[in-house]
Amino acid sequence: MSTENTAHELALDHMTVRFGGLTALDDVSLRVPSGRIVGVIGPNGAGKTTLFNVICGFVTPAAGEITLDGRAWRPRPHQLNRLGIARTLQGVGQFGGLTVLENVQVGARGHRSKGEKASRERQSEKDALEALDKCGVADYAHRLPGALPYATRKRVELARALASRPRILMLDEPAGGLDPEEIRWLAELIKGAGTTVLLVEHHMDLVMSVCDEILVLDFGKPIALGTPAEISADDKVTEAYLGAAA
Amino acid sequence: MDRFVYLTFDGLSRGAVYAAFALALVLIWRAARIVNFAQGAMAVAAVYVAYSVTDATGSYWLGFVAAIVFGLLLGVAVEKTVMRFVDHSSPLNGVVVALGLVLIVQGVLGILFGNEYRPIETPFRRDAFEVGGIALLSRYDVFVFAAVGAVVVALTLLFTRTAVGLRMRAAAFAPDVSRLLGVPVGGMLTLGWALAAAVGSLAGMLVVPTELGLHPTAMDVVFVSAFTAAVVGGLDSPIGAVTGGLVVGLLLSYVSGYLGATVAPMAVLFLLVAVLLGRPGGLFSHSKARLA
Repeated sequence: MSTENTAHELALDHMTVRFGGLTALDDVSLRVPSGRIVGVIGPNGAGKTTLFNVICGFVTPAAGEITLDGRAWRPRPHQLNRLGIARTLQGVGQFGGLTVLENVQVGARGHRSKGEKASRERQSEKDALEALDKCGVADYAHRLPGALPYATRKRVELARALASRPRILMLDEPAGGLDPEEIRWLAELIKGAGTTVLLVEHHMDLVMSVCDEILVLDFGKPIALGTPAEISADDKVTEAYLGAAA
Repeated sequence: MDRFVYLTFDGLSRGAVYAAFALALVLIWRAARIVNFAQGAMAVAAVYVAYSVTDATGSYWLGFVAAIVFGLLLGVAVEKTVMRFVDHSSPLNGVVVALGLVLIVQGVLGILFGNEYRPIETPFRRDAFEVGGIALLSRYDVFVFAAVGAVVVALTLLFTRTAVGLRMRAAAFAPDVSRLLGVPVGGMLTLGWALAAAVGSLAGMLVVPTELGLHPTAMDVVFVSAFTAAVVGGLDSPIGAVTGGLVVGLLLSYVSGYLGATVAPMAVLFLLVAVLLGRPGGLFSHSKARLA
């Protein structure tokens, strides 16, 4: 019996994206099994963020297919939240005029467990506070994000993604600008998230320590796919990062 | 002193209407970054609807409700058929389209109802109560305060206490990020226009019977005052719009009371120019610079 395909929560098949003459993604396939942590790495301009933008429906591919739970799927940005997919943005993309709590609440859908009578607003506030607490920034709930340090805002960004209780978490360079201690915290959070995780990241130690599987892109082309151990031993990967051996 | 007290109450009562109208401008500015120059014409259209319904049924209140509902629908229609397609690369585009809309609405109203002034009734008497020999407020003024107050409270609750309000604010701040978080940004924009047009219609219903008389261009003068009120308040701030409305109302009342009614329109324009030169971000703009 083939459980191969149905076990993949999210799959990209032969995905190609062109911006004018530039091929940003060239025949990329990726399978993301449920509950796994899959990393996407590659030098700058390799197409990592484009890959995320395709999954989020911001970019329409020239060719290729996306399947969600084994079914063909055409992503639309505003449907992701309802489908249980949450994405953080590279850098921080918070609403400046909304408090931290309100920022996180926008994405919280207010899941009600059985028997609970709380209003949707109350429930989404509870979810938001829980997510802020999980990310260690509950103290800043009523502050405006613009006045907070960068690392704190990165945590708020994570909390906002977690508040919708997603089943697939897409993290776009979550470690950017964080110090080593914060990156260790982030690694623990990712491993303990209990969701499927798709991670785009430059920080190798983080990727190697948390990912079950890693896809390496170079100029839009997939050059390697494997476990962290396999990837670190792969010559093509070393070449892509360090340039051809002289 | 008596005169001053009277003028103050009169100014606050006018100011409440400007506040409501300025609030409608701010709602759209926040949601779409467009100053809706067609707001006045749209509001007059709603008052004509009220006039027709009241004429046919004999009930002021049926006409009142019809005006608000028509305002909601007109807001949806304007956003979905016209404003959605405005190219935002230059802020002038929205202004020009809105001005075009003014000409269309006023033209159509003229064709349908004629260009003469029509008297329109108020639901309450307009002669003022006297307290200690000073004429303070009429029943109609009390109605105006209550109606505007109810709108301000309702909008505040909507924006600060409900998920829809939060999503409307988020969609206005960052559409793409909001989409990722599941906010239907287009729908929020339509809702913003609908709410604003309904509030504008309410302001029209309150102000047209007082001194203007119903005419396709009846709200043009009010628009200038309300626009000034919104600019005084900073265009981005609902509290600013309400405060600005009261300031403009008081200014108009004092100037026409002490200096003569003919000077009043100039006083409003003077205030507009002074604010734009001195504090272009509005009187409530202290935290604005940091957001940019």
